[in-house]
Amino acid sequence: MSDATTLDPTTREALAELLLALADDEFVLGFWDSEWTGIAPILEEDVAMSSVSQDEIGHAKAWYELLAGLTDDDADRIAFGREPAGYRHAALMNHARTDWAFTVARRYLYEHADAARLESLARSTYAPVAELAAKMRREETYHLLHFDLWLRRLADAGGEARERLVSSLERLWPDAQAVFAPLAGEVILVSTGILPDDLESLRRRWLERVVPVLESLDLPVPAQAERAAPPAGDGRTRRSDDFAWLHSEFTMVARSDQGATW
Amino acid sequence: MTDEAEPQDRVWEVFRQEAEGDPMIHGGSVRAPDEDLATHYAREFYGRRQESHRLWVVPRDAIVELDDPDLLKPPFDRSFKRPGGYLIKHKLEAAKARAGAPAAATAEGAEVGE
Repeated sequence: MSDATTLDPTTREALAELLLALADDEFVLGFWDSEWTGIAPILEEDVAMSSVSQDEIGHAKAWYELLAGLTDDDADRIAFGREPAGYRHAALMNHARTDWAFTVARRYLYEHADAARLESLARSTYAPVAELAAKMRREETYHLLHFDLWLRRLADAGGEARERLVSSLERLWPDAQAVFAPLAGEVILVSTGILPDDLESLRRRWLERVVPVLESLDLPVPAQAERAAPPAGDGRTRRSDDFAWLHSEFTMVARSDQGATW
Repeated sequence: MTDEAEPQDRVWEVFRQEAEGDPMIHGGSVRAPDEDLATHYAREFYGRRQESHRLWVVPRDAIVELDDPDLLKPPFDRSFKRPGGYLIKHKLEAAKARAGAPAAATAEGAEVGE
């Protein structure tokens, strides 16, 4: 499948739901972490974090554009023209930036979840998705290296750095699972091969990657029972006050002159 | 960001190459506690806009410095050590003619003696 005209309306709807979830994850995380610009731990990390955040906004833009082409919409309208309740990012991205350890913990969990997802999407039968995923994987390699390294640094540092990392992971684990919350159109996506693996297998693959690493660093992992249970269905619809605030920030300019050409 | 560096922070000099075969040119420096972060930061500062083909990241304390004026700027006239003192244009042309090189290719080599 190489273009949208070959898709029936139900498949198209399922694909649109997937693209919106992918785009919103990257978009909201990119905005949260862009808040480190000017206040990251050291000047070099300030530049690195800002650049990584820009990468995510760039990936969001690519997914939104694919979605806009599919639904005959406008990428900017989708990104900035919805009420907070209309966003479909995973609950992991509901939390405010908080402190550096929290940011590193969230990034670590997210980057590996995204890697598991992109690895699968790079084999998508829908060519535009496969091409984008393959391109993004090349850029995400560096993100993985960077946050693997920071996770280890904070874990090995001991003291307050380690304590903050531990409490952040404990707080984030339940919402991190929501990256793999079921989608309404998932059965169609998997049967058509648009999403080559179902989200539950991807979640297990992700856990196989991160749990042994965290255990080796003596960092918190979810209990066995929690790992066995698939995430709740509302993982991408729960919204928070923190997100409502961020939404008012990132839509401020678009709202100031609606319908303007930028 | 804080003003005071962590005690374990080191300075790394970054050299960049724009295309395969080009010389490595000093780009600047980054501060980082270890080799891995130094590499990440070098990438962000000197490679994130696809402007570099290759980077060399060198700890500043690994560089051997020579700045002794007695060695680098001796007080006597040493102009005879510069190639500009010799007129070799005709010799070069004659050598290239013997080697069968086309005359146009000698233009660059001929600059040396001018």
